[in-house]
Amino acid sequence: MTAPHRVSVTVNGKTYEREVEPRMTLADFLRQELRLTGTHVGCEHGVCGACTILKDGSAVRACLMLAVQADGTSLTTIESLADGDRLHPIQQAFIEEHGLQCGFCTPGFLMTTLELLRNNPDPSDEEIKDALGGNLCRCTGYQSIIQSVRLAAGKMREGNAGASQQSA
Amino acid sequence: MAIEIPKSLDELPTTSPRFVGKDVKRIEDPKLVTGRTEFIDNLVLPEMLHCAVLRSPHPHAHVVNIDTSAAEQLPGVVAVLTGADVKRWANPVTTAPEGWGSYCMAVDKTRFVGEPVAAVAADSRYIAEDACELIDLEYELLPVVVDPRVAMEADSPCLFEEQQGNVMLHRTFNWDDVDEVFEEAEHVFTEKFRWNRVGANPTETFGCVCQWDVLEHSLTCHGAYQTPGFMALGRAGSLNLPSNKVNVISYPQGGGFGGKGGPRGTDIAALLSRKAGGRPVKYIEDRMEYLLAGGGQSWDRYYEASVAVQVNGTVTGFKVKLLDDQGAGAEGYGTISVAKPLAAFTGCYRIQAARYELDVVATNRAPSYPYRGYGPPPHNLVLESMMDIAARGLGLDAAEIRRRNYIQPEEFPYTIPSGNEYDSGNYEAALDKVMEMADYHGLREEQAAAREQGRLVGIGLVNTIEPGVFDWNAYASVGVQGVGVPEGVRVGIDILGQVTVRVGFNLQGQGQYTLAAQLLADYFGVEMESVRVVYADTDNAPPHFGPGGSRLGVAMTGAILGACRKIEEKFCQVAAVLMQVEPGQIELMDGHLRVKGTPEAQMPIAQVAGTMLARGDLLPPGLEPNAETTSVWTAADRTEPDEEGRCKSYLTAANACHLVLVEIDRDTGKTEILKYFIADDCGTRLNPATVEGMIQGGVAQGVGAALLEEYVYNEDGQPLVSTFMDYLIPTIHEVPMTEKAALVTPSPFTPLGAKGCGEGAIHATPAAVMCAINDALAPLGVRANETPGSPNRLWKLIQGAAAAAASATT
Repeated sequence: MTAPHRVSVTVNGKTYEREVEPRMTLADFLRQELRLTGTHVGCEHGVCGACTILKDGSAVRACLMLAVQADGTSLTTIESLADGDRLHPIQQAFIEEHGLQCGFCTPGFLMTTLELLRNNPDPSDEEIKDALGGNLCRCTGYQSIIQSVRLAAGKMREGNAGASQQSA
Repeated sequence: MAIEIPKSLDELPTTSPRFVGKDVKRIEDPKLVTGRTEFIDNLVLPEMLHCAVLRSPHPHAHVVNIDTSAAEQLPGVVAVLTGADVKRWANPVTTAPEGWGSYCMAVDKTRFVGEPVAAVAADSRYIAEDACELIDLEYELLPVVVDPRVAMEADSPCLFEEQQGNVMLHRTFNWDDVDEVFEEAEHVFTEKFRWNRVGANPTETFGCVCQWDVLEHSLTCHGAYQTPGFMALGRAGSLNLPSNKVNVISYPQGGGFGGKGGPRGTDIAALLSRKAGGRPVKYIEDRMEYLLAGGGQSWDRYYEASVAVQVNGTVTGFKVKLLDDQGAGAEGYGTISVAKPLAAFTGCYRIQAARYELDVVATNRAPSYPYRGYGPPPHNLVLESMMDIAARGLGLDAAEIRRRNYIQPEEFPYTIPSGNEYDSGNYEAALDKVMEMADYHGLREEQAAAREQGRLVGIGLVNTIEPGVFDWNAYASVGVQGVGVPEGVRVGIDILGQVTVRVGFNLQGQGQYTLAAQLLADYFGVEMESVRVVYADTDNAPPHFGPGGSRLGVAMTGAILGACRKIEEKFCQVAAVLMQVEPGQIELMDGHLRVKGTPEAQMPIAQVAGTMLARGDLLPPGLEPNAETTSVWTAADRTEPDEEGRCKSYLTAANACHLVLVEIDRDTGKTEILKYFIADDCGTRLNPATVEGMIQGGVAQGVGAALLEEYVYNEDGQPLVSTFMDYLIPTIHEVPMTEKAALVTPSPFTPLGAKGCGEGAIHATPAAVMCAINDALAPLGVRANETPGSPNRLWKLIQGAAAAAASATT
């Protein structure tokens, strides 16, 4: 039961094969095994949301999953958002609206925002708050985060509009 | 020769600042938003081990026996640390007052649940935790004391046997003829308050990687350290190391707010490294450890307060009796949090006579650590509540009683009875502004209409002073020996004109590195991208303290501008030689050294720097070819407190007025914040976006303290809070969006006229929300005097009032 398991996990498009102890959390797997340290651990019991990543497109808490549960899945982490020094519109928006201070909770917020805006490109403030209600921030008091998400939504809509114009 | 530091933005050598005073984007952010900032848990060193800590399940017990043999046998375990090792190798931490500190690990006895009793270094944290479960400890239970009122009694169980009892500090400060004032007062109002324990809870817990050098007898500590130099000095003391053989390397922190602990975890990791032959040991505190026994608990208080008031609303006297439960020792300098209120004891008001009676007591709860505000937030709740109680008693409006008592703009600098000096302010302007933003009279009408419907709607209108920039003397009145808080930077311009500044502190979220770049870019007329801000560890840093007490924006600005002036002076000498004029004829403006009155005769900074560093032959005799300088800033005129604790302890006094509208649901006791308005004055705003962030962040923590957060212990000393399911951090749903207005009353005493603002709204928000709650409850004739005003507490009050009303009519 405690013998190492072989897992095959695709993260940000790259597939990794590793042997892990069954009890290793997915957060620890990402950070320690794969050295993808952008995903942060704030509470290890699923409340703060700092460890939020996307599993097959849906936001999950990496601290509440075991690495073995991610076998065969496709994960998206914060490391996938920027392309070198070209930041994702969500990242640009958070910078422009001062949506972060210490930045520790930020990757979790960005991944949750990514899921929100993919499903709802024009969310109301209430919808933004509902989506982000599971992410704690101790620094900002959330006001600039809401402004950041609004701006991000606008940037992404513009970006998509531009893209569809190009392909038309 | 004294350096003149610019006192306002127009004294900067630029036609118009492009960066200082503007909402520039933060240079820290690209790395943060990509997840590339290296927080301490990212660090991996060769041969590194992982630490887990075994913690006491008992609040008060002798440690009789410890058997670590099974743990040591576990494959993957390299070293096990016990109290015996700690006693041999380390010292209890120094505290103020002296003698209330412990070793990093329980040696003969444990004094609180969660106190470390053993620790393991192993190949992984998982194995280390397995090993902890194999350690056998025998305890002899001791009687427990969790109530500070009981702990004060002579026959109470004694936590520190060398002390007589559990009272760490008893002191009464008397300012002016308090008894006489109260005797002569037309009205006296008295009330009691209970502020329950809350604490910092940054999203990142404490962490470190320590490496003991067994040959050199020296120590390197990498970690989430807010105040690196202070931490290094403390470790030298606790670990018996020479003070120049401890190198602290601070990492960017995921928040701090003062309460990130560090000493115990660091000492444990360091001693494990020593025991493991010098292999680095990583210790990452987890959230449960933080909540139980990390730096996360602060402000556990019983207050009794009185105000003496004249019929016209003038408050002539203010008395406060405070019983502060510090928990199991003074290691976290929680004692400072009872002294800091001296800096703003009477708030914005012209109250002349005051008394402060303090009892600081040890109990079997976790030791108290600093938390943003560091004492004034509960004190301000008491002061502002008393203003409202007096207003209600006299039939005055909450705004009116404040207006009648404000210190007036022409009275600054103003020395308050407790001795601190406020630099500047205009409190009436802040009040007027916030009342206008909120349409105060409209809100009162709304409230009246709501009351007709039986709804519990309340308005809180409060002021705060936010003391900023403390110094060595600030806590001498409670026995904290002066540890200087200079802030130094090293600024250099290279041969190509690029600017680098080295600072002694790392990121914590307040945007200080961005501010440093703003200042240097404007001073030397370069782009912000040309400025590099580099963190220097304690081996390499100039004297520094780091963030704390709302000091760093001002202190770092002073240090940077001091360095700029020194470099400017040197550059002027070099430029004078190159342009063949007297040095006095050269001025720096917009990145150029130029001859006064002849703007065409000018050289860009880069040219002067390049010449200086490449052509020693061209320099005036005796001038070192060095375009780098260190500058250290401290506040001026700091004096020893007198026999009543009076001294100029905090250099700046920012102020704010908060106005909040709440509604309490009768059926659930839940408080909803409907509207929130803030007028804030922190002098010159060096980066307005940063200031607003500090304010809104303080609002969030203030809402948490007022409505949600509480560390609960049962009567057996067992903590009932160990996860975020128990300790409720406000989410996006609980924190109101606030409307903010900026007022600017510059400080006459500081670099660029800025005031400390980092502690932000936590000074005012708990007072604002609780005063609003009590305004809502006023028609029921009950008061909520205990924080947090949780649904449970308020529901009971409302039910109690209804029952009382029902029985009154039968």
